[in-house]
Amino acid sequence: MFLRSFAVQGSWNYRSLIGTGFAFALLPALREIYRERGELDAAVERHNGLFNSHPYLAPLALGAVAAMEAEGESPALIDRFKTAIRGSLGTLGDRLIWATWRPLCLLIAIALAAAGAAWWVVPVAFLVVYNVGHVWLRWWGFRAGLREGRNVGEKLRHSAVGTAQRGSSVVGAFLVGLALPLLVSGGVLADGMGWEWVAAASAAALLGLRRGPALRSPLAIVLVAVAIFGCLTGLLE
Amino acid sequence: MNLPLLLVLGGFIGLDATSAPQLMISRPIVAATLSGLAFGHPAEGMLLGVILEAFSLVILPVGAAKYPESGTAAAAAAAAYASVAAPGLDAPVLFLSAAFGLVWERVTGATVTWVRRLNERLVEWRPSPGRVVSREVERRHVAAMCADFLRGGLVTVVGAVAGAALIGIAAPIWTLRAGAALGIMFVGAAAMVAASLPLFGGWRERRLAFSLGILCGLLMVLFR
Repeated sequence: MFLRSFAVQGSWNYRSLIGTGFAFALLPALREIYRERGELDAAVERHNGLFNSHPYLAPLALGAVAAMEAEGESPALIDRFKTAIRGSLGTLGDRLIWATWRPLCLLIAIALAAAGAAWWVVPVAFLVVYNVGHVWLRWWGFRAGLREGRNVGEKLRHSAVGTAQRGSSVVGAFLVGLALPLLVSGGVLADGMGWEWVAAASAAALLGLRRGPALRSPLAIVLVAVAIFGCLTGLLE
Repeated sequence: MNLPLLLVLGGFIGLDATSAPQLMISRPIVAATLSGLAFGHPAEGMLLGVILEAFSLVILPVGAAKYPESGTAAAAAAAAYASVAAPGLDAPVLFLSAAFGLVWERVTGATVTWVRRLNERLVEWRPSPGRVVSREVERRHVAAMCADFLRGGLVTVVGAVAGAALIGIAAPIWTLRAGAALGIMFVGAAAMVAASLPLFGGWRERRLAFSLGILCGLLMVLFR
């Protein structure tokens, strides 16, 4: 079941979100609990509906639901439990992983590249650091869900997840600061960059700090426009 | 260009982005390095990955949001670079590959939406008499993952072939100096790395940690 949880988003869609993936991942437990084919099919159908969660926290829900099914809780109660936790597991995971842990690990990789690390060190360091946290979170959630069952929400409330997110945010902000001078100085290039480009990159960093993520699309358009301009001027010459 | 190899690599990268196992080989910094490694330019692939990663840092796959898929696009861009570039760092081709990657990620993002719509049809079914529901769920779930694998592979191969053709035409007529091409890319990357600060609380909340980071970064530059 734990291994199947890695594929919980395999059939992600706009109607049932990860509902079918949830049923797919839960199947080994349901097969153990329901030996009769009719009961098993009914249980699978119950779980093959709308469900959502951050993928890394889905094992927590899977473990808890498997425990509730094993304890013989009523389908209505299990449904209510799933409805109650799906919002918080999504929000918590989005904030903790997508908005904090992943960019933090990527900034480590960018800082390493900008500091002149060998090409293979950069992706390997990222994959190792990121996945230590990733797999640990999945395993912790799965164990907590199995152990606590329907009380897993309480466990989550008293966990160190909030503190971890705050701490990671501080480290992330430090890494943004660390990566900028390394990147601006052109450290990733053997010859560095000329002073005029260092000045331009510093000004661009200030603009980035001011505008934030909204800068992405305009900047991408500018980069593509420069590429087109570079070609058109070549054609006209 | 070894297209079967790229098809498999792109398939795994596309699969990793959402379906399974989300180990983040689908990040541009990894995908472009892998693609560069497969085609004999790992260091340049990594460099291209750093540029495209800086642009992808602020994309958050929250809820049912539609967003560009940067991993397969980065793999396609790195493969295109490898097939056109001269030996060593070819800055103009790298710039054109980065620009192509930023355009192609829009196309790959659209294909993610198509597969998700296809999944809707795959998982919306009524059990017919005689069919074992549990096996049907497994079959349809695995079929959805196969579709995503195929999608990832195809968009990477098509992107690499299209990218190589376009960059092959554009590179000989390119007029900007190599230094300018690299400079513009790093200006963009620096802006996007700075733009990621709000993810960690923004300037007001994290100015101390950010300033300390700047100080350490400056010291590293000075003593390098």
